[in-house]
Amino acid sequence: MSDFVASLDRLALLARARPNLLAGSLARYQEQEGLSDSQLAARLGCEVEALARLALCERPRPAPYFAGDAERIAGYIHADLKGLVQVLRAIEVREALSGRADAKRAVGPALLAARDYDEDEKDGEDQGISADSDADEPENG
Amino acid sequence: MKATGEELSFHRRILARNDPIAFAELADALYSSLVQTVCKRVGAHADPVLVEEAVGQALLDYHDRPASYNPERSGLRSYLVMAAHRDYLNAAAKEQRAQAHQISLFDPALQGYDIVDEREEVESHVQAGELLAMIDDIFPDAGERRIVTLILNKVQAQAPYVQVLGIAHLPLEEQRKQVQLVKNRLTRRLRRRLNGMQFT
Repeated sequence: MSDFVASLDRLALLARARPNLLAGSLARYQEQEGLSDSQLAARLGCEVEALARLALCERPRPAPYFAGDAERIAGYIHADLKGLVQVLRAIEVREALSGRADAKRAVGPALLAARDYDEDEKDGEDQGISADSDADEPENG
Repeated sequence: MKATGEELSFHRRILARNDPIAFAELADALYSSLVQTVCKRVGAHADPVLVEEAVGQALLDYHDRPASYNPERSGLRSYLVMAAHRDYLNAAAKEQRAQAHQISLFDPALQGYDIVDEREEVESHVQAGELLAMIDDIFPDAGERRIVTLILNKVQAQAPYVQVLGIAHLPLEEQRKQVQLVKNRLTRRLRRRLNGMQFT
């Protein structure tokens, strides 16, 4: 500990209490999935060092901004866009299922946007989102 | 001094709330240098863990309420340094009060009594003044001292250790292992020193 250096990891840790940043959601996702940092980075297609920067990004806004926000974040941390969108979608599904009020408010448009995005990417390939019923809320939620 | 062009650009992006990477970019650009600046401002006795927490808090507070910063009055970096320094002083004072309360070793009523019973080997050997001097001597690193203080205060919860070690991002099982490893290492060091001491 004598070679103490400032690390964005510590800032990302503090940021977990901010619901509009990704830090807390990512940490919960990582814990629920039992992923190490390197495993999460592999899932996202980015470097481990990029995880702290990802944690400090804002949560993507709902549709119609979701795809653009996700692309901007993926470009920033040099991640695989598809991997990032899948993780973001999984986070929102879990939060919706766990009944978080704020997630309930945002999940409809965001999930729809994520699904639209995947459909665009995969030319209509079936995605099989398990929480579709939660996504059937009005776009303006 | 007013905000620089780059600071103004960051500020506008964060105010607009439509750029998901604006805050991350700002933090990435400023965090390390803010920590260094606040450390220098605090002086040689700066606790780097507390400084990082203060800088982090200042950045996050700015993220939450960017409108509280006026770019006409000061640069963003100066504003954040001032906020972090203020937070550091508050946190350091709070920490000192907490430690004085936790380690009743400082209580004159306890002077002359054996008060450390964290482990059997340590028990009944060291008096308050000796213990504090010894801890400073054995553990020059502020983070290690904080861990040792937690151990000596019989703090059982894992969270404070995790916080000091900065390993909350690890899976829970890995956190537990890391905490145990560090506790064992520091306790062994303490024991070795105790075994080598002459007690009167």
